[in-house]
Order: sequence, then C-alpha cells, then structure tokens
Amino acid sequence: METRVSNSLSVAQSHKKAPPWLWPLLWGALLMISVVTMSAAEPLFRWIEPEARQVIYDRAGFVTLLGRHLFVVGIAALVTIIVGVAAGIAVTRSWGSDFLPLVAQLASLGQTFPPVAVLALAVPVLGFGTLPIIVALMLYGLLPIVRNTLAGLQGVEGDLKAAAHAMGMKPGQILRQVELPLAAPVILAGIRTSVTINIATAALGATVGASNLGDPIISGIVNGNMAYVVQGALTIALLALTIDSLFEVLQRQLRARSSDA
Amino acid sequence: MIELSHVSKRFGDETAVDDISLRVAKGKFCALVGTSGCGKSTTLRMINRLIEHSEGDIILDGQAIDAYDPVKLRRRIGYVIQHTGLFPHWNVARNIGLVPRLLKWSATDVQSRVAELMHLLGLPVDEFGHKYPHQLSGGQAQRVGVARALAADPDILLMDEPFGALDPITREKLQDELAKLQARLHKTVVFVTHDMDEALKLADHLVVMREGQIVQQGSPLALLQSPADPFVESLLGGLERGLKQAALTRVKDHMTSMGPTLPSQSRIPGTFSLRQALSMMLRDHSDRLTVVDQHDVPVGELSLRRIIKEAQLDNGNPRE
Repeated sequence: METRVSNSLSVAQSHKKAPPWLWPLLWGALLMISVVTMSAAEPLFRWIEPEARQVIYDRAGFVTLLGRHLFVVGIAALVTIIVGVAAGIAVTRSWGSDFLPLVAQLASLGQTFPPVAVLALAVPVLGFGTLPIIVALMLYGLLPIVRNTLAGLQGVEGDLKAAAHAMGMKPGQILRQVELPLAAPVILAGIRTSVTINIATAALGATVGASNLGDPIISGIVNGNMAYVVQGALTIALLALTIDSLFEVLQRQLRARSSDA
Repeated sequence: MIELSHVSKRFGDETAVDDISLRVAKGKFCALVGTSGCGKSTTLRMINRLIEHSEGDIILDGQAIDAYDPVKLRRRIGYVIQHTGLFPHWNVARNIGLVPRLLKWSATDVQSRVAELMHLLGLPVDEFGHKYPHQLSGGQAQRVGVARALAADPDILLMDEPFGALDPITREKLQDELAKLQARLHKTVVFVTHDMDEALKLADHLVVMREGQIVQQGSPLALLQSPADPFVESLLGGLERGLKQAALTRVKDHMTSMGPTLPSQSRIPGTFSLRQALSMMLRDHSDRLTVVDQHDVPVGELSLRRIIKEAQLDNGNPRE
C-alpha cells in the first residue's frame, strides 16, 4: 500500500499535471492505512478521551466494518442505478411519457422522506438488521439518479434524435448509440451524488442493528466516548472521499472521450 | 423517380398539405419553395415517412412507400437538414459512416467509402477524419452532413434548407459545389428552401407552395417568364425578375457572329450569364461585348439591343 502511494507521488512530481488516478489512490491508501492501523493511534485517541476506560472501538475490526459498509452501500447503489436509470429511460420513451410526472414526483418524495423515518417504518415490516437500511438507502438514493437520467435524456437535442431517426436508426439504436452516450456525463453525476450521500447515510443503519462504520459513532454517542465517534466519522469521510474521487476520474474520462480530437 | 399524386396531410383539423401532385424524374433536381409554414418541409418528410401522409399516393420507383419498411426506406434515402444533425460525440469519419454501418457493411468497405466521400467533398481525411463536429466551421459541418447523406449511395436525396444557417459567402460556395456534385452523381433530389435565388440556381423543376397547396410548378425559366399570380411573381423578385431570368441564360445563347470589333470593347466568356453581361455593360458604359471562349479567343459578339429584342420574343412564346 505504501509503495503505491509513493509511486503515485513520484509520478505526480515528474509530470506537471497530476495523473488522473492520483486522488483516488491517495484517499484509498489513507483509508486502508487508517482501518488497518487504527489501534496503533491509541495515544492520539487517549489525548481526546483521557478519562475513558477504552479509547479504540473493538467490538468489530474496522476492516470488517468497512466491508459491511461497502456491501450495504454497494447493493443499494446497484439496485438504485438499475431501477433509476430504467425508470428514467422508460418515461422518456413515447409509450411511457404518461408516467413522467408520476415518476418525477415519487423520486422527489423519496428524498424528502428522512432516512430515519424510513428506518422507523421499515423495521416493523422488515425486522432489525441490514435489510431496512438497504431499503432506506434505495429510496433516498433514487432521486438524484432518476432526476439526472431525466435531465440527461431530455437534454439531448430533438434535432439529433430526428436526424438519427431519419438516417434509419431504430429506437433501440438511437437510445444506445445517441441518447445514452450523450446523457452519460449527467447520469454519472447523479450516480455520484447518490452514492456519496448514501455512504454517509448508511451509518444510520447502526441504530437498527446493521453493523457498519456507523457502529463506533452510535456507540460513542451512547457511551459519551468522543474517540469512537472520531474513529467512525474519520473512516466514513475517507471512504466518501475515495469513492467521490473515483467518480471524478470516471467523469473526466467520459468528458475527454467526447471532446478530445 | 418520385411521384406524389393527390397527397394531403392533416394534423387534427389543420390541413398542412392539401391535395398536391408532383413528379420528380430520375436524376432531376426539384426545389420546393415557399414562405414558412407553407407545407414544403412536411411534404419532404412524407417522402421518407418521417411523417405519414393522410391521403393520396406517394410512389417511389414504381412502388407505394407504404409498402416499404420505414427503417429500410430511410436507409436508402439520403437526408440533409439545416442544423446538420451531426452527432457531437462521434468524429467526422464515424458520422459519415453511419448508414453503411447500419446496413452492416464490412469495416473496410465503410472506411474506404468514408474516405471516398470526404475526398469528393473536399475534406482531407487526414485533417478532418478525427475531428469532432464542434471543431468544424458551419460550411465544413454541412459538407459532412451531405457526405453522411450520400454515404450508402442512395438514389434519392432529401434536403431540408441545408444551407439556411450559413453566411452568404459560404452558402453560395456550397450551392456551387452541390450543383457540380449533382452534375456528376445525378441523384434524384428534393430540396426545400425559402430562398428563391437558391432554388433558381439549382433546380431543374421548381415547385412554389402556399398554404399547403402547389401554386405553380415548372422549369425555372418557365416560371420566370410567366408567373401564375402576384404571389409567385413577388417570390420571384417582382421587378428583379428580368435580371433573375438573365442570370439563368448564358451569353453563348444570345451572341451573334463577329462584327467589326472595337479594340476597347470588353470581353466576356460565353459561359457567363446574361446578368453578368448586363452588369458589365453598365459598368463599362458600353452596349456591346466581345464573347470569348475558354482560351480567351473571340468567338462572337453580344449587343444590348439584341438581348432586349430576344427577351421580348421569349416572353411571347415561353420556352420549356
């Protein structure tokens, strides 16, 4: 891990412009270092909480917590991307346009509903554990994806679609070869917003018994141990930065593909 | 050959095209002219079934267009629109190769066809093949648009105000290129424009439309000589009509054999138009010009008196 960091740093020095993968590698390395060596930082956390009996959260390893966190966010993201993009495509087709206002409204309703309230409603139905938090994340993450898919597809000039039609392209070919590639940067921006928000929101899962990086935070709040809170928050922040910078790279490559000669 | 007989198009209660009949022979250039909203673009789009006609028959090469599969029909008809409709995420070569790829040509065939067309339209492959539409000037982009329409070598070319968004100089240049291209390729062209000069310059057959109906159709000269009504006359330029007619007539056709040449007399190539000859006479304060061939050798003489006399004769018996 350390060698990867030093590699990307030396690359950064030899070129004037930072290589695209620098930031995700850097944040990712920091994240891995912090989850693997959290216990080594005991003196630092002891300084935050000199009175506490224990300053390093140890009910589960940070690597395990990170893995569970990623699993929850990943499953929710996968489902929201499939459902959100499919819904966005469906309601911008001529046969689905009747449902456009409905879908747009449902998606924004999902976002106005606080995730805590979703959890409170989901637990009686789905029980404690991982499932309610996945449902809450799906509802919460759907809007940015649906909204951006709609904006991206509606932003494709009518002239272009008409030209594609007139050249003898079939509807499926127009969607795959013209509309989706042109809307891709906007759709990807929506996915980025959705996933980044959900990395933070997933921490709430700890309140309904889904073990993830929210555990140290909730436990820290309950027991009045600030060191736990910092450990959870720091790891979540590094995870969010890693994923967000990954999306930044993807977006930049997408943009470069259509604008470079 | 394209034949429309008693074709109408209604959108709800509105009649966009009202019982029109017209025939474009194979290899001929037909221009649909009229003010905006006269139904000329609708007429064009009915030919490749972007809009389905409500009544009448549209026959393509002896077969009603309803019998064709719309997608296959469009792939064998070239189509050029005003704002080019080039795909911004594809480079020039990929844009031009679209229809051949849809027709599942092999990659090498597509590549060589693209190169051939780019050469034909004066866009060097090395320089332009990898450029994206936003890196092209308006004129270059429209050349790519024309190349894309010609890619699968269609017999029929539909053009919807293709040069309408270009500056006057570029527009004129592309009109000249299109005329040359047409002289070589002999496509059956239907060309929509509101610019009468453009139509007069390019068309073999001129169709004037108003409020969904055809007001008059015929050769450009026939329309100039006897416009059917004041509307057609005003479209044709009112008082300028004489000059527009002169622009369509070549000096060669009105010259007489050489008289005694005055040394100071100006020279004009026989391929120039009478309009250019008249302009030259006004400029040089002269009523006679020496007509020369392409090697600048005098072959005849043009006199103002004779041009005017023959114009009267032409008006008396319109030539087709």
